[in-house]
Amino acid sequence: MATLLATLLSHYRRHPGQLVMLLLGLWVASALWSGVQAINASARDSYARAEALFSTDLDRLERRDGEALTRDNYLALRLSGVPVSPLLEGTLEAADGTRLTVIGIDPLTLPGSSIFAIAGGTAATGTGDFTDFLTPPWQTQLAPDSLAALGVAPREAQGATPLLADGQRLPPLILAPALPPDTLVMDIAAAALLLAGSGQIASGEQITRLVAAPGALAEAPAGFALTRAEALASPGQLTESFHLNLTALALLSLVVGLFIVQAALGLALEQRLGMLRTLRALGVSGRALVAALALELALLGLIGALAGIAGGVWLARVLLPDVAATLGSLYGAGVGAELRLPWHYWAGGLAVTLGGLLLAGSGVLWRASRLSVLGLGQARAWRAGFHRQLTAMAAGGGVAALAGLALAAWLASQPPGEGLVAGFALVGAMLMASALWLPPLLGLALAGLTHLARRRPLAQWALADLQLQLPRLSLATMALLIALSANLGVSSMVGGFRLTFLEWLDQRLAAELYLRPPAEQFEAIDAWLAEQPEVAERLATARSDAQLLAVEPGGGEADTAVQRPVSVYGITPGATLTPRWPLAATQGSRETAWEAFGRGDIFINEQLAVAEGIGPGDRLRLSSPRGEITLAVAAVYPDYGNPRGQVLMATPYLTERFAAPPGSLGIALAPGADAAALSARLLDAFDLPRDSLIDQDGVKRIATEIFERTFTITRALNALTLGVAALALLASLLAQASERRRRLAPLWALGVPRARLAHLQLAQLGGTALAVGLVAVPLGLAITWGLVAVINVAAFGWRLPLHFFPGEILLTLATAVGVALIAAALPVLRLWRTPPRALLAEEAA
Amino acid sequence: MLELHQVHKTYATPQGPLRVLDGVDLSLGAGESLALMGESGSGKSTLLHLAAGLDLPDTGEVRLAGRAISALGEPDRARLRRETVGLVFQQFHLVPSLSVLDNLRLQARLAGVEDPAWSAALIRRLGLAGMERRYPEQLSGGQQQRLAIGRALAPRPALLLADEPTGNLDEATAGEVLELLLELVRQTGATLLMVTHSPRVAAPLDRCLMLSRGRLAPRDASRNDTGANA
Repeated sequence: MATLLATLLSHYRRHPGQLVMLLLGLWVASALWSGVQAINASARDSYARAEALFSTDLDRLERRDGEALTRDNYLALRLSGVPVSPLLEGTLEAADGTRLTVIGIDPLTLPGSSIFAIAGGTAATGTGDFTDFLTPPWQTQLAPDSLAALGVAPREAQGATPLLADGQRLPPLILAPALPPDTLVMDIAAAALLLAGSGQIASGEQITRLVAAPGALAEAPAGFALTRAEALASPGQLTESFHLNLTALALLSLVVGLFIVQAALGLALEQRLGMLRTLRALGVSGRALVAALALELALLGLIGALAGIAGGVWLARVLLPDVAATLGSLYGAGVGAELRLPWHYWAGGLAVTLGGLLLAGSGVLWRASRLSVLGLGQARAWRAGFHRQLTAMAAGGGVAALAGLALAAWLASQPPGEGLVAGFALVGAMLMASALWLPPLLGLALAGLTHLARRRPLAQWALADLQLQLPRLSLATMALLIALSANLGVSSMVGGFRLTFLEWLDQRLAAELYLRPPAEQFEAIDAWLAEQPEVAERLATARSDAQLLAVEPGGGEADTAVQRPVSVYGITPGATLTPRWPLAATQGSRETAWEAFGRGDIFINEQLAVAEGIGPGDRLRLSSPRGEITLAVAAVYPDYGNPRGQVLMATPYLTERFAAPPGSLGIALAPGADAAALSARLLDAFDLPRDSLIDQDGVKRIATEIFERTFTITRALNALTLGVAALALLASLLAQASERRRRLAPLWALGVPRARLAHLQLAQLGGTALAVGLVAVPLGLAITWGLVAVINVAAFGWRLPLHFFPGEILLTLATAVGVALIAAALPVLRLWRTPPRALLAEEAA
Repeated sequence: MLELHQVHKTYATPQGPLRVLDGVDLSLGAGESLALMGESGSGKSTLLHLAAGLDLPDTGEVRLAGRAISALGEPDRARLRRETVGLVFQQFHLVPSLSVLDNLRLQARLAGVEDPAWSAALIRRLGLAGMERRYPEQLSGGQQQRLAIGRALAPRPALLLADEPTGNLDEATAGEVLELLLELVRQTGATLLMVTHSPRVAAPLDRCLMLSRGRLAPRDASRNDTGANA
């Protein structure tokens, strides 16, 4: 077997380019897949750690009057026998500017199975002393990946007391790998000291929330609102669609990479047909030959997969900070910027790459095993297989198209917002059907064109020659089609999203300045603003949370009971906001909807409308501190980027119904007013921190930055996929370059100049790529539709308007031709440099 | 060493079935040499393929080294070929990615009977000394065929099957190669079955048979045709 394997591998010594192409294909496919999986694995690890923390699996108590909880509340509840535990949360700035979440706990009363409940932190670390955690100088529990922000080396971490940006020192550090990134856990007394020292809380009397073991409280104590743990969405649930999106893109890259692999394997085998025949003649059995080829495949696969995983980890390291920022800003999910990869990541990466390789190589092995020993040497027998392959491709494409139709029909029968995986499968089926139909279509088109060009010999030759190249080019053109159409689909979706998002932002951000005043100063500031001549209108907001209990359809059907946490948001309708606020659906006119809103009706966001099938005219039953209330829905509004269902009502109603504390204050200025001067006076008059006031441009800038970061990874993966497809095309062209030159030699001998031959080659490939691009345009637009109308709705609960960008379409066509011309340039240059006599010498050989 | 008994072989063609071998009987003893002649398309190569176990007869029996090849599975036929048969082709069929030395040793290695001293002697005798590290494309046609002969004889096979071994060579080179082939066959004691068009190539061999219309017959000695590729 060793001799056999060495003989097979010796082919690559003489054709190192093919080996490079094969390994490159494997490397790229594996790297993109592994990179995304590394990001997903790290993010999931962070979610798992966050979920393991007490705050997500415990019931919560809050004051019904919206006031902040105090130590007295806690003590009163404990004295009356209610098993609650206090938590104090805040943020502290590390020396390097990183914002760290500080959670102060009382380990003696913290209930349930949370990691601190057992022994106040000793369970998390296996070290330390319970008393040390509770008594000065206390302890700071943190995950090792939080150390970098504090400038502490892992070796010196235990017991270190690093300085914070405000000059305070943290209690001695204890490592707790189970904690989420950038989170510090300490005794509530230590946390109160630090947060008071940084000016975040006025005194140690304040606590953030009270928690209880799930189900420990049958009902909320008087004056308190109870939120059950199961009603709190975990970061893992919220971000599921984001990761699915990434996985789908990575799968696309993997498929495109495997196309290269299959092309390289097919070529390597075709060129070794003679060797295989000789080996069979020398007494190697067919089974042994296929086994040796499979072994060769596994060996190369292992090298490619290991290199790919290394590349993937590097890629993930580069992209993870952007992804972490995106997940943080979109979903509030904390993701560490350091990779944490479980063992199954490595095993999975290897398995997927080797599995993909086996899939790509199985066709080649199957064909090799079916050829008889006497037929092995005949390239014609090998190529005859291509015609059968075209028929099989057309049939396979038909099956994929039927599967796509079935999925579309199934999705149409589902309630809106359902079928995320089916949506991706639908897009996958569209891609697969088109890719499989491409080579048969190109074959038919070329045959027809060859017939039409019969009076132009050179054109006829070029077209006939292209038909001969098709077996080797087909996989590369399929890869190009997939990459181009996915690129167009995703860029149209992102472009449409950006357009809609910016427009929506313009509409929503009606005020020039936004202020987040301290609750105790709210009224005074509001009164002061009312007296300023520059201020045209004050737009007070407020927010609260509620439980949606039932939907009463407007048509008089039976109520639908639901249990869904929703956020309630208050706005101030008026001359500034009302004309600009976007509405997606109203029962009557916009004016009627706003009139109803002014009377106390509510608007709901599209996410909630889609998820529960609610429309204008329906009524919602909500839990509130004053008991259940039923409110009529006057309109549905788009609410991009919000993962939760939201109910909108006028701020005064919200304050009254939900006892909500005041939120931010939008300041709409009179025409010609000096925003800077007003800001300065306002900050000065109330001694407000500078960052409590932000202008509209600042909000837009932050929102746009978040948006751009969200799609950084999408764009990066897309560009890489297109790069891989270009590589596939280049590899295919280089692989057949010498054979092509031999075919061109007789034409040169017949008097066609070399420049003309070079142009012919460019025209052949440019034309093919243009044809691929023309197929990619409708396919790309269909993918945009799938992303916008199916996947987006299922993943996020809102639908984007479908935008088409002629510029993107032209760019797709130009990219197709550009990629082909770049890929063709090297072989053409070689042709250009080959002396004419050498061409004939090659022909003779 | 090789026995064919009532061997029939028919190929399907677009024009209908083509009967290539029609009840062929042949017996070749150890150390004997036989030239097989016939017109193009007469079935010489088919007979050679059947003798090597590369193909199976429709009916009849082929026995190689005492074993009926039709009764053997493909892996066993491959092993029998590897260990018993040496093949020399008109088109050489060397492995282009292996060096001269590696090509020479290939079959012996596959059969697990490599003898470095014998390989070295073969290299010298084939006139390929100093070219061990070259690749087949760097050799002349005659050198390539000498190398192919060396590869076939390196495992010291009991039976050497040669299909037009000089068909691709000029007259002078063909003479040299043939002389070398026969000398090495004598030296190793192998049985030789050679397919050829050329009476001059066939002449030094023990026997000569004509294949015509699917049947074997002794060559008519009165015919004095000369092959173009002798």
